[in-house]
Amino acid sequence: MSFGRKPADFNAEIESHIELEADRLRQQGMTAEAARLAARRAFGNVTAAEERYYESSRWAWFDGLLRNFVFGLRTLVKSPGFSAVTILTLALGIGATTAIFSLMNAILLRNLPVRQPSELVLFGDGRAAGDTTALPNDDWRLFSYDMLHQFQRRTRVFSDVAAVRSTPFGTHGSVASGAQMEKIGVELVSGNYFQALGVNPALGRVLNPSDDLAPGAHPVAVASYSWWQRRLSRSPTAAGTKVNIAGTMYSIVGVAAPGFQGISVGQAPDLWVPLAMEKQISPGWTGLDNVLFQSLYIVARLSPGVTLAQAGANTNLVFEQIVHQYAGPKATLKDLEQISHAHIQLTSAAAGLSRLRRQVATPLKILMAVVVAVLLIACANVANLLLARAGVRRREFALRMSIGATRSRLVRQLLVESSLLGLAGGGLGVFLAWGASTLLVLMVSAGPDPLPLNVAPDLSVLGFALAVTMLTVILFGTVPALRGTRVDLSSSLKESRGIAGTSARNRLARSLVVAQVALSLTLVAGAGLFLRVLSNLEHIDTGFDRNHVLVVNVDAGSAGYQDDARLHRTMLRLEDRVSAVPGVQAAGFALTVFAQGGWGADVTVPGHTASDSDPDVDHNRVGVGYLRAMRMPILLGRDFSSRDTLGSPDVAIINETFARTFFPGISPLGRTFSIANGWPNLQVIGVVRDAKYISLQEKPYAAAFYPYAQHPGFLENLVVRYTGDPGPLVRRIRQATAEIDPNLPIADFMPLGQMVNASVQSRRVVAKLCTLFAILAVLLASIGIYGVLSYAISRRTNEFGIRMALGAVRRDVLWMVLRDTLGLLAIGVVAGVAMALACGRFVESLVYGVRPDDPVAIAIAVLLMTAVGLFAGWLPARRATRIDPMRALRYE
Amino acid sequence: MSTQERLELLQGTLDLLILRTLIFGPRHGQGIARAIQETSADELLVEHGALYPALQRLESRQWISARWGVSDNNRRARFYTLTRAGRQQLLNETNKWRRLAAAIGRVLGPETEA
Repeated sequence: MSFGRKPADFNAEIESHIELEADRLRQQGMTAEAARLAARRAFGNVTAAEERYYESSRWAWFDGLLRNFVFGLRTLVKSPGFSAVTILTLALGIGATTAIFSLMNAILLRNLPVRQPSELVLFGDGRAAGDTTALPNDDWRLFSYDMLHQFQRRTRVFSDVAAVRSTPFGTHGSVASGAQMEKIGVELVSGNYFQALGVNPALGRVLNPSDDLAPGAHPVAVASYSWWQRRLSRSPTAAGTKVNIAGTMYSIVGVAAPGFQGISVGQAPDLWVPLAMEKQISPGWTGLDNVLFQSLYIVARLSPGVTLAQAGANTNLVFEQIVHQYAGPKATLKDLEQISHAHIQLTSAAAGLSRLRRQVATPLKILMAVVVAVLLIACANVANLLLARAGVRRREFALRMSIGATRSRLVRQLLVESSLLGLAGGGLGVFLAWGASTLLVLMVSAGPDPLPLNVAPDLSVLGFALAVTMLTVILFGTVPALRGTRVDLSSSLKESRGIAGTSARNRLARSLVVAQVALSLTLVAGAGLFLRVLSNLEHIDTGFDRNHVLVVNVDAGSAGYQDDARLHRTMLRLEDRVSAVPGVQAAGFALTVFAQGGWGADVTVPGHTASDSDPDVDHNRVGVGYLRAMRMPILLGRDFSSRDTLGSPDVAIINETFARTFFPGISPLGRTFSIANGWPNLQVIGVVRDAKYISLQEKPYAAAFYPYAQHPGFLENLVVRYTGDPGPLVRRIRQATAEIDPNLPIADFMPLGQMVNASVQSRRVVAKLCTLFAILAVLLASIGIYGVLSYAISRRTNEFGIRMALGAVRRDVLWMVLRDTLGLLAIGVVAGVAMALACGRFVESLVYGVRPDDPVAIAIAVLLMTAVGLFAGWLPARRATRIDPMRALRYE
Repeated sequence: MSTQERLELLQGTLDLLILRTLIFGPRHGQGIARAIQETSADELLVEHGALYPALQRLESRQWISARWGVSDNNRRARFYTLTRAGRQQLLNETNKWRRLAAAIGRVLGPETEA
C-alpha cells in the first residue's frame, strides 16, 4: 500500500534500479563510471520521479496545508496591526451573533434534561396559566385533578401521564429549625411527575405515585439541585430536613438531578411538593375535589411507536367522554353546543414550555437579524482589508508565480490565512459571547434576580460559532483570494505607477462600502424605531399615577392563615394601620395591580346582548383605599367606603369603557350586572377613568372593581401611596405589620413605577441592544469608507500631484475626493432607506405599535449616516490636499 | 536504431505492459523496463523514471503487490508480483486493447507502402 510507504523506501528502490541498470551495462562492456552515468540518463529525472511519487501520496495535501498554515501564521504575525484589526472585527461580529444564539439556545431550542425528551407531549399549548371552572368549550389548556386521573386510567397511548400546577407558588417558609421566614418557590406536581420525565434523584429519592394519594396526607418535598447547593450547602444528609410552610412541616425526601429545573424554562422552583398538598400550599386557590377546578398542565410520555396524531386522536376521544360526563345528563342544548368545541391539541414538550419563550421569541429573532447584519458589515470590512492587502501583495504574488507557484497554490494559501483570521476571531468571539450572554440574561431579567438560564457555551453553541466562522471565512475570504491572485505577471512585476487592474478591485470595494452604508442605515433606522416605540410606551397615559407608590407583597397564606374571618379582619386592620403610618396617603389591597395578569370573565348586563365586538372585561377585588392609592379618578358617582360591607348591597365601580359598552347613552349609576357563573346583582356606584391594567400596549379593557369587604379572600398586594422619602417608610410598614401579626411575612416592596418599567423590559433590551449594534455598524461602515478612500487616494497620489502641478487648487482636490464619498453615500443611503422601510414593515407585523415609516427615525438615520460617512471620507481627502506635487510625482 | 525513432508509449498503455510483463512471475522495476524494451524488439521507449509512479499506481489499486528481495546478481531490489485482481485487469485490458487496435486498423484500411 502506498499509504504506509515512506519516501525513503521509494528512493531506495530508485537507487537499486539505477545500480541494476548499471550492472547490465557493465556486463555489456562499459566502464563502471560510464555505465552509471548511462543508467542515470536512461532513468531520466530522479527528482521529478520522487516529486511525482510525493504528490501522489495522500499526505501531500495535508503537508501542504501545514506549510500554508505555518506560512500564513508567519505572514499574519508580520503585520500585527492588520491582523489585530481583522481579528477584532470578526470577534465582534461572531461574538455578537453567538451571544444572541446562546440565549436563543437556552430559551428556545435546548431540550429539557430528561430521558428521551422527544417523547414528551403537553396537553394544549401552555398559553394559559391559572385556573378556571368553566366547562371545556374550546382549545383546552388547563386540566383538573380528576381529569388527570381519568386520562391516566383511560388513555392507551402514553406510558405516563403526569401533571404540574400551571402557576408556581412564591411562598414563604422556614428551613430546619430556623425561625426566619424566607422565600421558597414551590411547584405542585403529581406523584408520578419525576418518573414520567425520567428524572433521577441526585440524593435520597424523588416523589413517587404513593406520595400523591390522599389530600393533605403527604407532607414531603423534593429539593432542586441548585436550592440544595445554595440553601443546604450540598449537605449529604439533606434528606430528612424539615421545612415549615404555612404551618405544615414538610420533610425533604431527596434532591433532583442537577440541571433539572422543572418543565418551564425560565422558572426554577426550589421544592417540588405533591399535588395532594395543594390546600396546604395554596389555601386561597384550591379545588382538588372539584372536577371543574382546572389549574394543571398535563405532560405525558408517548408509548414507543405511537405517533403524535394517534395520541391526539385517543386523547380527544377520552376528553370528549370526560367532558360529557361533567356536563351531566341534564346538560342544556347550549352547554352541549359549547362543549362540542372542546378539544386538546397535543404539542411537543421536548424543549419544555415557557411563558418567557413567548415573551422573548420575537425580540430574540429581531436581535438575531440585527447581529447578522452587523456580522455582514464586519465581513465586508474584512473583505475590503484583504482586498487592499492583496493589492499591496501583488508583487509578492507575481514573484512567487514566476518562480513556479501555481495560482491554486496561492489561492489555497490565502484561504488558509483567511481561515486563521476567522478561527482567531471566532475563538475570541466565543469568549466575548460567553460574557455577553451572561450580561444579556441580566438585562432581560426584569426582576432583581437573574433568570435561571444556563447560557454557558455548550456543544450546539460551539457548533454554531464554528459554522458562523466558516461561513464568514467563505464570505470575506474567497473573493479577495480569487481577485488577488489574478495577476498578470509581466505587468505586475514591472508595475510602478500603473493603475491597471485596480479599477475592478475598486468597484468591488466600493460595492462593499455601499452595502455597508445601506445595512448600517437600516440598523440605525430600526434602532430609532424601537427607541421611539419604547419612549411612546413609557410616556403613555397609564390612567394611574405610578410615582410615589409602593406595592407591598403580603403573604398571609404562608403564615398559616385560612380563607376565613380571621384573615378578613387582619387585612382590614392592616389597611387601617398602614394608612395611619406618617407619610402614607392611602393604602388598599388589590387582587392584581399592574402587569400581574388579570381576572377575566364575561358579564351579563340586563338589556345588553353580548357580541364578539365587546371588549374583554377585567375584574379586580380591591380595598377601600385602592383607587385613591393608584390615583384613578372617580368621574361619576362615589368611591368605595367602609359602609360597603357583607350586609349591604353588592357594589361595583366600572371604568369608562365598561360604561360606554354596556350602558350606552344612559347613566350607569344604580344599574346592575352580574359576572357570568359568578356574583349576581352587582350595583354600579361609580365610574372611574380608563387605565392600563395588564400591559402598556393593551387595547382598552372594560374594567370593574369590587370591594373585598363584600367578597372576602386572599389578596397579596397592598398598594401604598406615600409622600416624601420611601426609605424610612419601608421600616415603618414592617413595624406596623408586626404589630398586627409578627409572623406575617412581607416579601417585597416594589415601586409601582418599577413594575411599569419592568413590563416593557424586553422592548427596552431590544431597543438598547439595537442602538448598541447600530452604533457598532456605523463605526464599522465608517472604517470601511475610510479604508477604501485612503487606498484609492494612495493609488491616485501621482494623479493628484500632476493635477496640482498643472494648477488645481486644494479645494478642487478636496472636492474631487469628497464627491467620490458623496456618490458612495448617496447610493448607500437610498438603498438603506428602501431596506429600512421594508424591514420596518416586517417588524410592524411582529411588534405592536411600530410605525414602519416613522419619518423622524429614518431622517435621523440618514443624517447620522451621511455625517459620519462624510467625516470618514474627509480625513483621507484632507490628506490628499496636503500632497506636495513634487513628492507626489516621484511617488513610488 | 536511435532513441528518436522509438515509439512513444500511448497514455495508459504502460500499465497494461507492466501487468503483461509480470505474468511470467515476479520482477523488479529495472527488469520490467528491460523486458518491455526487449519483447517489443526495442521499438518501445520506456522512460525508466515514468515506470515508478505507474508501479505505485498499480500497487495502490492492488493489481500488483511488492516485496523487497535479492536480484540474480545479489542486489537488493523491490520485486513486483501480479495479484488475482491484476490478472483479471490484464485480461480485460488486453481484450479492450485488441478490439481497439483492430478497429483502428479497419478504419486505416489495408497497409500501403509509403
